[in-house]
Amino acid sequence: MFEDFAYARPESVAQAAQLLQDETAHALAGGSDLLGCLRERIFPVKTIVSLSSLKELRGIARTAEGGLSLGALTTLAEVAGSTEVQTLYPGLAQAAAEVASPQLRNQGTLGGNLCQKTRCWYYRGDFDCLRKGGASCLAVHGENHLHCIFGGDACYMVHPSDTAPMLQALQATVWVAGPAGDRSLPLEQLFMPPAQDPTRETTLQPGELVTHIHLPPPMAGQQTSYRKVRARRSWDFALAGVALAVIIEDEIVTSCRMVLSGAAPFPWQATQAEALLTGAALTRERVRAAASAAMQGAEPLTHNAYKIELFKGIIQEELARLVRE
Amino acid sequence: MADSGYFDPVSPLIQPARPGEAPHPWGHTTLIGQRIPRVDAYERVSGAAVFPSDVQLPGMLHAAILHCPYAHAIVRRLETTRAKALPGVRDIITAETPEAKISWPYGEGYAPPLFDTQLRFEGEEVAAVAAETPWQAWDAVRALEVQFDERPAAVAERLALTEKAPNVHPGGNLARPIQTYARGDLGKGLAEAAVVLSGSFRTASQLHIPLERHGCVAMWDGDGLTVWESTQGVFPVQEQLAAVLGLPLTRVRVRGGYVGGGFGSKLQTSKYAVIAAILARRTGRPVKLFLSREQTMLSMGLRPAAIMEMQLAAKGDGSLTATSLSVLASGGAYGGAGSALVDWLAKDLYRCPNVRTELTDVMLHSQPARPFRAPGYPQGAWALEQMMDRLADALGMDPVALRLQNIPTVSQARDGSPAYTTTGLKACLEEGAAAFGWQESRQRTAAQPATFTTRRGVGMAACNWLVGGGFPPATVVLKLLGDGSIILNMGASDIGGGTKTIMAMVAAEELGVTLDRIHIEHADTATTQYATASGGSKTVPTEAPAVREAAQELKRQLLGWAAEELGVKAEALRYEGASIVVINHQEKKGKSPKRIAVTNLARLRQQRVAMGVGHKRANPKNKAICPFGAQFCEVEVNTLTGEVRVVRFLACHESGRVMNRLTYDCQVHGGVVMGTGFALTEARILDAASGKLCNRNLHDYKLPTMLDVATQTVSLPLKLPDDAANSAGAKGLGEPVVVPTAPAIANAVADALRPWQVRCTATPITPAALLQALAAAKEA
Ligand SMILES: Cc1cc2nc3c(=O)[nH]c(=O)nc-3n(C[C@H](O)[C@H](O)[C@H](O)COP(=O)(O)OP(=O)(O)OC[C@H]3O[C@@H](n4cnc5c(N)ncnc54)[C@H](O)[C@@H]3O)c2cc1C
Repeated sequence: MFEDFAYARPESVAQAAQLLQDETAHALAGGSDLLGCLRERIFPVKTIVSLSSLKELRGIARTAEGGLSLGALTTLAEVAGSTEVQTLYPGLAQAAAEVASPQLRNQGTLGGNLCQKTRCWYYRGDFDCLRKGGASCLAVHGENHLHCIFGGDACYMVHPSDTAPMLQALQATVWVAGPAGDRSLPLEQLFMPPAQDPTRETTLQPGELVTHIHLPPPMAGQQTSYRKVRARRSWDFALAGVALAVIIEDEIVTSCRMVLSGAAPFPWQATQAEALLTGAALTRERVRAAASAAMQGAEPLTHNAYKIELFKGIIQEELARLVRE
Repeated sequence: MADSGYFDPVSPLIQPARPGEAPHPWGHTTLIGQRIPRVDAYERVSGAAVFPSDVQLPGMLHAAILHCPYAHAIVRRLETTRAKALPGVRDIITAETPEAKISWPYGEGYAPPLFDTQLRFEGEEVAAVAAETPWQAWDAVRALEVQFDERPAAVAERLALTEKAPNVHPGGNLARPIQTYARGDLGKGLAEAAVVLSGSFRTASQLHIPLERHGCVAMWDGDGLTVWESTQGVFPVQEQLAAVLGLPLTRVRVRGGYVGGGFGSKLQTSKYAVIAAILARRTGRPVKLFLSREQTMLSMGLRPAAIMEMQLAAKGDGSLTATSLSVLASGGAYGGAGSALVDWLAKDLYRCPNVRTELTDVMLHSQPARPFRAPGYPQGAWALEQMMDRLADALGMDPVALRLQNIPTVSQARDGSPAYTTTGLKACLEEGAAAFGWQESRQRTAAQPATFTTRRGVGMAACNWLVGGGFPPATVVLKLLGDGSIILNMGASDIGGGTKTIMAMVAAEELGVTLDRIHIEHADTATTQYATASGGSKTVPTEAPAVREAAQELKRQLLGWAAEELGVKAEALRYEGASIVVINHQEKKGKSPKRIAVTNLARLRQQRVAMGVGHKRANPKNKAICPFGAQFCEVEVNTLTGEVRVVRFLACHESGRVMNRLTYDCQVHGGVVMGTGFALTEARILDAASGKLCNRNLHDYKLPTMLDVATQTVSLPLKLPDDAANSAGAKGLGEPVVVPTAPAIANAVADALRPWQVRCTATPITPAALLQALAAAKEA
């Protein structure tokens, strides 16, 4: 079924980084994404590097600053069920709980969720897709019902992760270990825009792996939420999702981060909507205007213009919940 | 107290009719109609049940099929050397293999070679491999080097009929002359109407996804072939395998047993069975061949998409005056009627004197369609039942009232308009509406302000079904063994509907024995008698009367033996289950009645077995036997996001006598779930450019999950034993339950969106479809 591969289970992060330097070596966390890719032979895999012995990548801990550090191997079920996450960043607990199905949340890890490949059916299926080395993106003129309305360039995938937009709204930092040691980067810089390289999903260099996600302590009065619409109510990716981190003081929005899933090849920050909301009172008119602003510049393909209405709808719905009347 | 192994009947056990006569209708029943758990529940739940895909034989090889990766292609070259050299590979068969040079009868005159070099759908078989492990077989399939010459494909119904469309077969893509049906005078009907409406509707293609994939294990023993097959009918498989392989029926044994779902996709014989048989013959080893899930999705059939134009006209009082429906559909690459029965409800469900329908079938570079739970009906219901609601709106009538205005007593679509044996349509509508709280619910949804973005809606739809009464042939054998235990031997498959349980209940009801005394042998061509495949919702009405007849013959025989032994006439005896009693004995002598235990009958003690054989009799002449039903539902629609949540369902079905309330309700629930998928989530998506399947796995192809179906589904059977239909008084249920579900949901969605007059006319009603319809309406 699979191509022959070697299996390694390094005992240290440094060892893992060493092994992952080869382009055809792939990290194995929960395997819920990688195994499917192996079965479909989407990319060549010569070495599987299991992260299962790296205990330090597991679990949730408080940081000195009062935020949280989430190990890359923490399962999505653990993220969703963590009291600390639920208390400090309820939106993240929601986002993790909205992923896939209970079985997949028990198996899938946060790191894997961020580094997973697109679910585009031209990529996963038996098609000659650009991301797999084909001549061009078949979705542009094809069955692009589920594809992006922002940020498409050469490839028109949507980023599949539900946790990524929420983490971005929370201004998460990603810690990465590599052959040259550790480094950190803002979460948004983890994702590779197709305009830069349509064959890679992340900006990780050969040998690098995600070790932790750091969340800054929640700001006073911060409200977070994640709302997702899908074609069926479980075991399904987002058609559209919106992650919000908002602070309202005396009826005025003092801070707003809004990041969309299902919109672009990477979590899509709705900066125009954020700007429109920040410093303003959250009225019904403002909510509608923000929803429209979020969709400004959208470039729908043949079959996905509905996403514009859909995003406006969920953004309105989510913001309306914050309006105090 | 009854003896152990026998139960206390609520009323005296029914005595056998005279030889040759049909059993008397049941009056009160003891077991029939109760909630009886499946007789094989433990096996199913514990995993002890052996499905064909569980079969492991000593020395068994595993096979895999190489399928065509294109919708249309020609095989230029096929090189097996590399594959043959792989570890574990034992055989490879291709178009060049002598044993494989046979033709495969698709029907309608299409009989291409088993492995054709001209390939007409993605998923069509190209070659096959047998190896020591399934993984080796799949690796070898990948190692086959094939030079395909990809050709342009026709995969859209309308486009396929245009001049420039690539032909599936020479001579254009029209599969057959357009079929028309007409009664009355459509023009006259339209002219005398107060309201005439027309509408366009579309249903997407629904893929077959039975839990157990399609496949078999084939084994030769000398010149005889045995095939364990996951099938709805072992005898049709036996017949086709024998014909294709040129063997007498006596040399082909097909064993079914458990089958993990079929829904129509396992009614027919598939190429894999012949392929497995050829590989097994060549290697001299048993061969197991189960398709991958992708392959079942590519080649094991679907409910064809339908493109429908409908016109409906009525007088001011709601009486229909004219109905017309035209349908465009495709059975795929090898004939097969894609449009079959799509027009049946339009012709038959409501009283209407003037009707015209037109069916156009087009060839596509797509897998052959297969029957799919109530073939044609859900598509036709989608159009008709939405048009009925629009008509009700236009006339200012209640949708239930409009339907009640048009209840037929005869089957208008059948030649000679025969009367129905019974028709529960009116009662289903009335009792269903009352139990659902239809009137109050309608008032409640109508009172919602237009400003609400989360809105409730209620809707309903009705149905009938084609073959409710079953039909011959069916032969059932009941054997009473020396210790009083019973063997029930029947050819029919239990495809999950509870056939085994119900037939055991029939035997028990007749014989007075408890269910645990009955052992069931079924679905094996070597040890059971001929039965047609389990499909068409005809298994209960076909097999149950045969079981009754077998039981009655058995009882007659026992009464005869007792009469001989006691020196009385058989008429003076009564069968009481454990024993046979002399009637009136007690009254005469004032003593306990004279009786003899069945197991003490000298003849049984000597012969060790008594046997009754029963057949399904012909149906009554000039009568139509049809089940009816009506379903009601409430939905919640989020107008901001297009999400639809099914809140509750009520399904009121009339299928004659309720045989087992538990399995009855299971059918209703399953039908509503499947219909909900058809309405809200399921659609095959083909890449328009290549014709290839985009959603070829279970997360892209959206079967509904438990969260997508109604949290509350009420099954409200209308108990109306149909004694004219057959001696069980039962009609079919498995298919009608899926027919009205989708239009009921669509009507409920339309009710929720009443302020904007929005109606979703295409399946599935996804958030995308709903938002687009709303946006269009708001713009207009
Ligand atoms: C049917 C189905 C439905 C799904 N629905 C959703 C959904 O609704 N929403 C959603 O967000 N996701 C969904 N998913 C995706 C699922 O959440 C991911 O598969 C899962 O989170 C991946 O985690 P894993 O540990 O199993 O990753 P793996 O499969 O082990 O790895 C995934 C990828 O990430 C790489 N990787 C893993 N860990 C690291 C690391 N620490 N550093 C660098 N690279 C790493 C691997 O090499 C691999 O390429 C769905 C998946 C399936 C199969």
